[in-house]
Amino acid sequence: MVADLIESVVKILFIFSVNIGFFSPILGWVERKQSALMQDRVGANRADICGFTLIGLFHPIADAIKVLTKEDFVPTGADRLFHTLAPFISLTPAIIAFAVIPFGGQYELFGHRVNLIIADLDVGILFIFAFASLASFGAVLGGWASNNNWSFLGGLRASAQMLSYEVVMGLNIIGVIMVYGTLRLSEIGAMQVNFFNWGIFLQPVGFVLFFTCAIAENKRAPFDVAEAESELVAGYFTEYSGMKFVMFWMGEFLEIVTIAGLVTTMFFGAWHLPFVSDRMLVDFFGFAGPNGASILAILVNVATFFAKVIFFIWLQMTIRWTLPRFRYDQVMRLGWKMFLPIALINIFITGLVLLAK
Amino acid sequence: MGISIEKLKPKRVRKNIELTLWERLYIFEIIRGMHITSMHFFINLIGFVLPPKGKKRRIMTVYYPEEKLTLPIAYRGRPVLVARENGSEKCVACGLCEKICPASAISIVAEERENGERYPSSYTLDMSRCVYCGYCEEVCPKEAIVMSAEYEGLAKRNRNNLRFSKEKLLRSEKSVKDRIEYIRGIYAKCNY
Repeated sequence: MVADLIESVVKILFIFSVNIGFFSPILGWVERKQSALMQDRVGANRADICGFTLIGLFHPIADAIKVLTKEDFVPTGADRLFHTLAPFISLTPAIIAFAVIPFGGQYELFGHRVNLIIADLDVGILFIFAFASLASFGAVLGGWASNNNWSFLGGLRASAQMLSYEVVMGLNIIGVIMVYGTLRLSEIGAMQVNFFNWGIFLQPVGFVLFFTCAIAENKRAPFDVAEAESELVAGYFTEYSGMKFVMFWMGEFLEIVTIAGLVTTMFFGAWHLPFVSDRMLVDFFGFAGPNGASILAILVNVATFFAKVIFFIWLQMTIRWTLPRFRYDQVMRLGWKMFLPIALINIFITGLVLLAK
Repeated sequence: MGISIEKLKPKRVRKNIELTLWERLYIFEIIRGMHITSMHFFINLIGFVLPPKGKKRRIMTVYYPEEKLTLPIAYRGRPVLVARENGSEKCVACGLCEKICPASAISIVAEERENGERYPSSYTLDMSRCVYCGYCEEVCPKEAIVMSAEYEGLAKRNRNNLRFSKEKLLRSEKSVKDRIEYIRGIYAKCNY
């Protein structure tokens, strides 16, 4: 009982510190530096502490200081409650959705079975989609609550885009669920022990579609008509400054991490190294005794999981800085007229293949 | 006589851009584009960690203020007055630059020296108005004002400090020799 509590608290602290403490500021730095390297220039590298510029890693700290000392205002005529509430609604689902993503398997530690997932719900995937749908409220409220025509337009575009891509994402996942037979993410991860059971081999079309729809859901380029940096000033977050702006921004980055985590879990073997199973790892580390072997196996698996997550974060950043922006009607046409039929055909073919087995 | 009416009407040219099937299946073109950009990324990343020896640096950024760009000779920087060897200005206060300046940045008060020469007793160039067009340099008949290659030192805390007087604008003839040679080449037809 106490052991369960300690285990939960440790897992929650770990995920919080990795997500909010590590990934959020680092992703701000990565965005600047990666875009700079892809464009043959040096990124931001002038923020220094006592003369040490650590290749620009102090810039997120400088950002934090700048944001905390900015004036926090609500524009005249705007709805005070919703203007303040919108960033919270945008940020919270991105953090919560990580509660059901497994970052490791099941291990025996000190005579106790440790499951490296914060909440092993048996409706894992549905939970994530429910919270992703909640995130669209933040965009809509932000656009409406600022007393501004252009924010309103940005919020409208954002809400329509997010809604349509949620539908298509759900239909994509049905293929994965049919193949693995369960909604529980830890079981989907455990079933990918065999290298040829990885989701990318069983559902290649599903992977491409899901990745694209998730990027569209996140309102990130090439689907960023909602924020449209050079068209709508800053879209639905024009009238935000200081901490609220950073909350929108952090929500976007955390959702990048969540998407990367989801894609890794469902399509790329979650925490497994290609031909190595958990049992083999624990036997390999047998020299350190049963607890030590478990701890070392945990470290290897968690490191593999986060290495794959980092690869997908890099991929999303590369996509952002390579592709031009879609026009708004092209975004809608892509979602409804091109992805929806492909997702339905995918389900149909998956069903046929499963029947034939 | 003349051009017929059909030739005068503008013809609408319609170019039909046909996309092949390979290009309409977006995904392959996207992968090709991402290949190009990720090649840039990895080459620059390795270039940071292990810089290539001797080869030209691929990253184009100039680390101002530690490194500065060498500017071409046609660059129009700050206008400066040219001084002769004895330190006095070549300017004869004819007022042509004052008249032609589109931003009305120059103010001249002319005086006469003992030997009859004309000189500006006060020459004020308001740097907050100057647009660096180079008309004053082009119209001057004595090559007394040229656009140097300076672009720094123009951030002041008081607006009055930006009204540069004659003393601040003087530079020796040797330092702007290249610029004078250059403008002789391009403006000489008009001036001499």
